[in-house]
Amino acid sequence: MIVPYSHLLLLAVLLFVLGAVCSVSHRNLVMILIGVEIMLNAAGLAFIGASLHWQKLEGQAFFLFILAVAASEVAVGLALLVYSQRRTHSVDSNDYSLLKG
Amino acid sequence: MNTILLLLILLPLFGAFLLPVVGRHLPRRAVEIIACASVLGSLVMAIVAFFIGGQKTYVLTLLPWINVNDFSAAMSVYYNPVAAIMALMVTFVSSLIHLYSVSFMREDEDYVRYFCYMNLFVFAMLIITLSDNLIFLYLGWEGVGFCSYALIGFWYHDIGNAIAGRKAFYLTRIGDFAFGIAIGLFFITFKELSIFYINGHALSLGAKMATVFGLLLLWAAVGKSAQLPLVVWLPDAMAGPTPVSALIHAATMVTAGVYLLMRMFPVILQSPAALFVIALVGAVTSFYAACSALAQKDIKRILAYSTISQVSYMLLGVGAGDIIGSMFHLLTHAFFKALLFLGAGCVIQALHEEHDIFQMGNLRDRLPVVYWLFLAGALSLGALPFTGGFFSKDRILLATLSHPELSYKLLWGLAALTALLTPLYTFRLFFIAFLRRPGRIDREIRPIPKLMVWVLWPLAFLSLFGGFLSLPAIWSGGEWLSQYLVSVPGTISLNIPPSFEWGMEIGSGFAAVAILIIAYFLYYPTPFSFRAFWEELLFTGFYLDWLYQKMVVLPYEGIAKFLWLKIDEGSLDQGIDQTGNFLPIFSAGLRQWTTGRLSTYLKMLLLGFTAILLALAVGWYYF
Repeated sequence: MIVPYSHLLLLAVLLFVLGAVCSVSHRNLVMILIGVEIMLNAAGLAFIGASLHWQKLEGQAFFLFILAVAASEVAVGLALLVYSQRRTHSVDSNDYSLLKG
Repeated sequence: MNTILLLLILLPLFGAFLLPVVGRHLPRRAVEIIACASVLGSLVMAIVAFFIGGQKTYVLTLLPWINVNDFSAAMSVYYNPVAAIMALMVTFVSSLIHLYSVSFMREDEDYVRYFCYMNLFVFAMLIITLSDNLIFLYLGWEGVGFCSYALIGFWYHDIGNAIAGRKAFYLTRIGDFAFGIAIGLFFITFKELSIFYINGHALSLGAKMATVFGLLLLWAAVGKSAQLPLVVWLPDAMAGPTPVSALIHAATMVTAGVYLLMRMFPVILQSPAALFVIALVGAVTSFYAACSALAQKDIKRILAYSTISQVSYMLLGVGAGDIIGSMFHLLTHAFFKALLFLGAGCVIQALHEEHDIFQMGNLRDRLPVVYWLFLAGALSLGALPFTGGFFSKDRILLATLSHPELSYKLLWGLAALTALLTPLYTFRLFFIAFLRRPGRIDREIRPIPKLMVWVLWPLAFLSLFGGFLSLPAIWSGGEWLSQYLVSVPGTISLNIPPSFEWGMEIGSGFAAVAILIIAYFLYYPTPFSFRAFWEELLFTGFYLDWLYQKMVVLPYEGIAKFLWLKIDEGSLDQGIDQTGNFLPIFSAGLRQWTTGRLSTYLKMLLLGFTAILLALAVGWYYF
């Protein structure tokens, strides 16, 4: 492997933090979902790197699972989003505060 | 025999179950028929059992009940002549009183509840009468207590009635407590709870143990039969409907205590000390109650005190070792006291719920039939010669006098004094309530149903001629009851020289007649009364209620108040409240974080995960 494993992990961490910051700092639900996607992919990248590093296939298999989870999550998440938007005419996460005590 | 006894017990229970379930949807007549039929059926079974059973003793298991390791309690009966007589009396009197109730309760809307409790009472009373197993007996014992409570407070809309019911419940409970202990001790001693077995092995008890048992059983009987010192509930129990007073608080339940002592007599017989205490309680209570009856104004309270006094005679009979005499008096008392109560019920209804005898008068002209029937009961209660009460009371007095112990002579003196007081208070009631007194204006009479008067006839007949059940030999009587009961363990026959017996009977006969004449002059035409102090003393039953109030109720209330205000409210509740006030100081900081913003929660989530992972990583590296 040309790229050293530590660089790969660094990239994964960077991506994860970017995603986390994205989902924490935005109030738009779409942006939060995108942030979550980025975090998932960061984790997937770390799996792939580990798989190459130790020459084991389980890591890649795990990434396939993560892909599937991410795809279904986006499908459900977007559907919920569209539905909520229709109900409240807003995609601002702060407007969804029914559970606030 | 098995089936007959099972039916005898279960028929009233059947009625008690059927009435509350379907009674509301049935016409009134059907409810009355169910209630009366179940008790009448029971009476028929009792008669059949009496003729089939003869003088034999049966110990039968009707149903298995509790079985745990070596402990077992079955629903078993112990049918012997005493139980046979008692069952006959209970079902007979109950049947008549159920019939009477049909008329008496004709205007009451709650007749279903009334008849349900009455049937349940008969069921529980029959359990007491027949049960062999002590636990089974306890079921009946508590059952009659419950029905008594429910029926005293039957008209619970009046708070006084409900309080009277509660009082009866508490005070009888004190007695039941001793009975519970006795049952436990019996099991420890015999590993067996069958009365038949215990009676059979009573000889193996030491005198000391027998005294303990005797006193515990006496304590139980004192509660149930309203003897000193637990006497105060019975006069208050008159708050219930009059047929209830007649059935439960005169003829049957209050005699259950004495009956228990008769039933377990072989045990008590082992301890002369317990016998003496029983006789002592009997003699003192009978004197006490007879005195109290002299100053009462309420017709039912007079009869209640008289009941206490007469039940004490039965207790005295047991104490003197003569359970035949005691049973004899139990029988005649059941008849004449039920008669007096039912007669009083007629009078009370005819006079628009008037209880005060001083408001009555001239009933001879206005209720002639009730007048004569009531007179029959009064003669028997006063033990006028040749009536039922005369023979039964004399037998008990004779048994006490002929007891070899010298101390019994003293008790005899007290009992004889009571026997003189009995006709006095009886005819005080009779002359004041039934004869014409000058200066009184008669109020109008409400007509009473014929049925209420009809049922008095058989009772009046038995009151007057009940003595023939066991006419003493000197009257060339067959002593049928004594012969019938002779196979019961512990019975004795009194061996008294006839001349002595004649002397006693003639003496007491003349004394009763003399007292009757004295009573006539004392209370007619103007009733005599004691000085205010004595009148008050007797009227309140020697301030016994007041004493209980001061000695028991007030201290108890004081303790309860202290526990409530100081311990519960002051310490516990305050402590918890203070802790509660203290906690928000902590939670105030945490509350800041519940913003309702998604981003805050996400931040928290990430920070939390980071912290956990960091901790894990550090742990993994360094440990």
